[in-house]
Amino acid sequence: MNTYRLIRDRGAIAVVIVLVVLLVSACAGVGSPQPAPATQTQEQVVPSEAVLESEGVLRVAMQPIVQADPAFISSDSEVLVANHVYDYLVDIDPSSNVIPRLAVDWKVQDGGLTYVFKLAEGVTFHDGSRLSAEDVVWTFNRLRDQALELPTADLYSNISTIEASGELEVTFRLKQPNPFFLYDLSDNHALVLKANTQDAASNFNGTGPFKVARYSPEDRILLEANGDYFIPDLPKLAEIEIIFFNDENAAVDALRGGQVDLVMRMSTALYTSLQDEPGIVTTDIPTNGFDLVRLRSDRTPGDDPRIIQALKLATDREAILQLVQQGYGAVGRDSPIGPMYTQYYSEAFPLPARDVEAARQLLREAGYPDGMELTLHTPDTGGRPDLAVVLKEQWAEAGINVQVSVEPESVYYGDNGWLEVDLGITGWGSRPYPQFYLDVMLTCDAVWNESHFCDAEFDSLAITAGTSLDEVQQAEAYHKIQQILIERGPVIIPYFFAQFAAIRDQFQGFELKAFAGRTDFRAVSLRK
Amino acid sequence: MRREADSLTLFAQNGAAPGRGRRLLSSLRRLYAVPSAAFGATIVIVFLALAIIGPLIAPYEANQQEFQDARQAPSKAHWFGTDHLGRDVFSRVLLGASEVLWLSGAGTLLAVLCGTGIGLTSGYLGGWVDELVMRLFDSLLALPALLLALLMLGAIGTSVTSVLFVILVVYTPIVARVVRSAVLSIKTRGFVEVARLQGESLGWILFREILPLVLPTLAVETALRFSYSIFLVASLGFLGVGVQPPSPNWGLMVKEARQSVSLTPWALYYPVAAISLLVISVNLMADGLKRVLQSPVE
Amino acid sequence: MFCNHPLNKLPEHLPTLNIEGLTVAYRQNGRWLEAVRDVSLHIQPGEIYGLVGESGSGKTTLALAVLRYLGQYGMILQGKIELNGKNLLDLQPAEMRKIWGREMAYLPQNSQSALNPTLRVGDQIAEILHYQLDMGMKRAQRRAVDHLREVNIADPERVASSYPHQLSGGMQQRALIAMALCSNPTLLILDEPTTNLDVTTQAAILELLVELISQRQTAALYITHNLAVVAQMCQRVGVMYAGVMLEEAAAASLFAKPLHPYTHGMLSSLPRLGEGKASARLQSIGGQSPPPGQLTSGCVFQPRCPLAIEVCSENPALSSPSAGRHIRCHRWEAILKGEISLPTAPGMESPGRMEASDKEVALSLEGVAVRYPLRRTPLDILRREPGRSVRAVDELDLVIASGQTFGLVGESGSGKTSLARAILGVADRTEGKMELLGAPLPAQLSSRKRETLRRVQIVFQNSEEALNPYLTVEEILLRPLVTLLGLSRQEARDRVPELLRAVRLPAAYAVRLPTQLSGGEKQRVAIGRAFAARPDLLVCDEPVSALDVSVQASILNLLCDLQVENRSSLLFISHDLAVVGYLADVIGVIYLGQLVEIANADDLFKPPFHPYTEALLTAVPTLETQSRQKGIILSGEIPSPTEKPGGCPFHTRCPRLVGEICKTQAPPWQRREGSSKRYRCHIPWMELQAAQGKLANGEIQAG
Repeated sequence: MNTYRLIRDRGAIAVVIVLVVLLVSACAGVGSPQPAPATQTQEQVVPSEAVLESEGVLRVAMQPIVQADPAFISSDSEVLVANHVYDYLVDIDPSSNVIPRLAVDWKVQDGGLTYVFKLAEGVTFHDGSRLSAEDVVWTFNRLRDQALELPTADLYSNISTIEASGELEVTFRLKQPNPFFLYDLSDNHALVLKANTQDAASNFNGTGPFKVARYSPEDRILLEANGDYFIPDLPKLAEIEIIFFNDENAAVDALRGGQVDLVMRMSTALYTSLQDEPGIVTTDIPTNGFDLVRLRSDRTPGDDPRIIQALKLATDREAILQLVQQGYGAVGRDSPIGPMYTQYYSEAFPLPARDVEAARQLLREAGYPDGMELTLHTPDTGGRPDLAVVLKEQWAEAGINVQVSVEPESVYYGDNGWLEVDLGITGWGSRPYPQFYLDVMLTCDAVWNESHFCDAEFDSLAITAGTSLDEVQQAEAYHKIQQILIERGPVIIPYFFAQFAAIRDQFQGFELKAFAGRTDFRAVSLRK
Repeated sequence: MRREADSLTLFAQNGAAPGRGRRLLSSLRRLYAVPSAAFGATIVIVFLALAIIGPLIAPYEANQQEFQDARQAPSKAHWFGTDHLGRDVFSRVLLGASEVLWLSGAGTLLAVLCGTGIGLTSGYLGGWVDELVMRLFDSLLALPALLLALLMLGAIGTSVTSVLFVILVVYTPIVARVVRSAVLSIKTRGFVEVARLQGESLGWILFREILPLVLPTLAVETALRFSYSIFLVASLGFLGVGVQPPSPNWGLMVKEARQSVSLTPWALYYPVAAISLLVISVNLMADGLKRVLQSPVE
Repeated sequence: MFCNHPLNKLPEHLPTLNIEGLTVAYRQNGRWLEAVRDVSLHIQPGEIYGLVGESGSGKTTLALAVLRYLGQYGMILQGKIELNGKNLLDLQPAEMRKIWGREMAYLPQNSQSALNPTLRVGDQIAEILHYQLDMGMKRAQRRAVDHLREVNIADPERVASSYPHQLSGGMQQRALIAMALCSNPTLLILDEPTTNLDVTTQAAILELLVELISQRQTAALYITHNLAVVAQMCQRVGVMYAGVMLEEAAAASLFAKPLHPYTHGMLSSLPRLGEGKASARLQSIGGQSPPPGQLTSGCVFQPRCPLAIEVCSENPALSSPSAGRHIRCHRWEAILKGEISLPTAPGMESPGRMEASDKEVALSLEGVAVRYPLRRTPLDILRREPGRSVRAVDELDLVIASGQTFGLVGESGSGKTSLARAILGVADRTEGKMELLGAPLPAQLSSRKRETLRRVQIVFQNSEEALNPYLTVEEILLRPLVTLLGLSRQEARDRVPELLRAVRLPAAYAVRLPTQLSGGEKQRVAIGRAFAARPDLLVCDEPVSALDVSVQASILNLLCDLQVENRSSLLFISHDLAVVGYLADVIGVIYLGQLVEIANADDLFKPPFHPYTEALLTAVPTLETQSRQKGIILSGEIPSPTEKPGGCPFHTRCPRLVGEICKTQAPPWQRREGSSKRYRCHIPWMELQAAQGKLANGEIQAG
């Protein structure tokens, strides 16, 4: 063997070793780009004369932002930036209550058809101009303009007129009463811009607590305190630096290494691993986000209601929560109305306990005495493959043999293939109020009625819940809906996710929200 | 002339022709004379043995989930610990061996059979057939193996059969090229020409005259392809295509354990170690085979 | 012919190289095998010492030991190697490196691998001057050109700036000689420096070497298997066998009166130039050389020695019959005194010569041309130019009578192998008319019927190539019976012992694989296979040139016997005039794809000769050690068939060029009543005969 071949062959082995090392390191998250060391960011701090009481820099690890125009933002990081550069008219607190922001007060008139908002005084945009009612009118007219086809056009299609009824007073008139209108006004996109803003994607001219000091796409964005913010004493921090990370493992490593101070949204495993980390405070709050297992109810075998009941009886929700979510979040009761919606959630109707024998019995009755074979489709993201694997084991005890089919998320949701399969897992995000889930997922003509569920009683209850201005009637409708879903619903909702965050302990006043991007940093400050 | 014949007879007595079996044995002995190859071959044999007896000795079932026992560090009860779903990592690694070895072994075998057939025919016939086949293979080889695999799996869907098919398509051109280049040098040798002059059939010339000479090269190539196949199978598992959970495919195990590496690092390290060890061992064995088979005999 | 040295000039001063009791061993499978055993020799300045031996005799190991270049598996077990009084075995590797190139140079056999293909020849020489003699690079490059000129390269500047692949084999060898001699070493080791060269080139290189060595008074160790070259080149000769020096003597006395039975056997197994098979059967040494390192007690040659007696099982001591002569044999005195006679070549039964009937024609070729198409460039295809081709064989006519042996002689590149391939039906493109036994012979193998296939078979030069290493001897021998004679496997198997007996191999060989056979045995199997289906025409392409001399003789004998038994015709292709002359009935000399001379074997060696034949004949080294008139050294090398000269193809190198006519007109065949000879030349018979008269005085006949 000549030298060249020797080298080549050794080379092959070397390549394999390198690949393996890469694989290992990629898994450990070492291969990802490391953020710049902390000292460098501190050098960039340019103290603003206006900031007198604000102090400290909060460095947040977040995904890179793509959209900066509030009308198009969607990811956590995009919303987080917008939420601090701009202000909402009304906001939602961590307990899902509507709270004032730019609007200090409001009145509901005409049986829920007219909303009058009073704006705060002395609000200025970052360019120095004053906020007026016209700016609010322009903002919401833009968002609801059908011709612009913005993502909010549908949401606000129920608005008939918006007018500036005073210098600092705005009046909204609706076509139909909408009990959730205030929630709609606090939609992620509903940030108030200056009237006639042309380049909303790049000028960052908000009224918010922070101004954009520097933005390096794909790298980081630096926000500095707005000294003229209309609420005195806020913000408390001098700067927020949002450092972009594509990989959550890398972000958590950076938190451990002191390169960032705050990480929001991470996998359960990463969050668990941070529990005993000195100098880091972990917070988790329940959300209404959930993974859902559904069986198509319009064709065999799901058209026999006993099958979904058997699946439900064979499912051990507590074990699933422990294994897949490591105990964080909450056990689900097969309805999208989770415990976060305190005013609607009900445990009055009991959820049957796991009973493998009963499940077998139901299968026998349904004509499957020897068990059945099913294929469980799932996207490859989050804990969904794990959920599928755990369900496979649990259901196997009841004689339901499941073939797991994991597909890349883009493939699974692409071309509406996910609506086609019989048995599938879908992840749903957290919403401020529950009506959304009913309308898009469970009513007969819902766009994403993945289970092809159609129930007249359910539909009429959903309409009542969605339109009644009577809070008692509304809550009753939601309670009844939860009962129907336990009795004959096509879905299993084994758990609700928790939202995780971990922050270095020199900060205080951090209050995580179910949608991490809406978390409010105005009150976060350095611990004295 | 008489003397000559006598002395030849004398000479004939001191060496009877050893059989093929003994030759194989002597090849093995020579393989074991190379320390790195001996190490590689031993490990490969151990893995093969584990793949076969794995189901008998595995303490747990591959997908047995004990949610009270989830995320346990390695202990007496769970030698390699348990993963985030409470499955015994040792049992999974053990039971995964048979799947990885079976898939990559069968895939390699298919690719080698196919590649040998095509390489032999194409190389021996030459001309436009050869030109056409080789250009076709060139275009396949222009794509990186993993990319080609992903493209194909995207097109034909993911299943065990697809993975076998992918290995076949990815490695057939490489084997065919190696065989073909060996054939090109062999087909001009005298005995091939003599065979043609004796009116031997194409089959005889390809399989009896040429193939035996290609075998050493082929053996080395097979071992190399085997190691690459193992890696490909693991990579596909890691990328989540090809095999479906809860299969104890090592690559898939790495993918699953990656999520919770900070909690259950052992669930990641053991399958990674298994992949590395097996791939390196097969490579060392291939290296040794090359030294033994492609150097002049005695 | 080259050596003009006083034979009785005995060593009086310090020898340049002095080897005493050298034993070298190689490590194999954990054992040390002695490849050279207790060898002593010395070489004086200006002396060329010939070391002769068959393959495996340890001669190259000896050279490598002198170079201290044995590699990790070789070791000098004992002995002394002195170069100019220094014991080389005491030197450190670094000191040894200084000796290489300065005091000692090595000229290897394979010029292809000895030259670095990526460096210009001039730079390679300059590098040696630069590193070994500390010469400035610029100056070294100028000196390199001078050195190239010294080795008679006509255009040294061009050669210096050429890459090795741009040079012919002879030119490469000259460049290597220039490299070896540029630092003016005191010892030059030459390991078969001309073995791969054509006989005409070899003659030129040998002449050059003799000249340079005597000029510079370099001591030279000349290693070769070719006895004739040694006879031409060397003052003293050592004969090695199985790692042992059996006999050492001055060249003249060794060739005149070999004392060792092995030396004698080797000499008598060589066919002499001009000696045909009718006059004598070749003497061969039975058996074969032991594998290197095989430990034997007693005389190493004893198993093969025709004179072996009881005492030979003891190791013979080195005796010295006369000054400067050494021998290792128990029976030398008896041989010297003539008490026992070694079997000599004549007097043995002569192989039969078949009566070639003139009427029955085995093979007839008319205007046969073999063309190798050149690759068409894309430009050619665009211009719609027809594909060009090289004519390796050009309009050749040839008739081989039934039972006749037709010898075809020519240098490499003359087209002899292409002609053979055309007859076999495996050439790329063959034109012209070929007939076998009066029936047309299709040019392509695929269109030949099985019966036709049976009629034409081949024996190759290289038996390594000819036998499939993975088939047993039995399988090899029975295949033609199955495919060509249509026998069943069992019938064929039953006939294998008979075939083995025919090629004088024991029946037990049937189960062996080719790797378990020696070179001669392999060639026997190949011959057995070729004759198995009783072909009418057997093409032998250099069947013995890869074999040691002692084996070569027995193979030639076997070929003769089988040809007679099978009544086959033989087309025997060789570059070796002596071998062809011995075996053939009719000889054709081929040059650039054309026959230039055809004659019966007896007539070929009588003048007039075609000038090319003449050059070949005089270039062949013979065992004659006496100086003779200088041979005709051809200038240049055989032109490439792509640039075939017009007129007479030989005119570019012809020493007897007549004038313009040679360059423009194809020469006519010259022939004469009473001679079977005809040749293609513009010089008429009588004129050429007169000019070559001297040669006619039997001087070509070797003694």
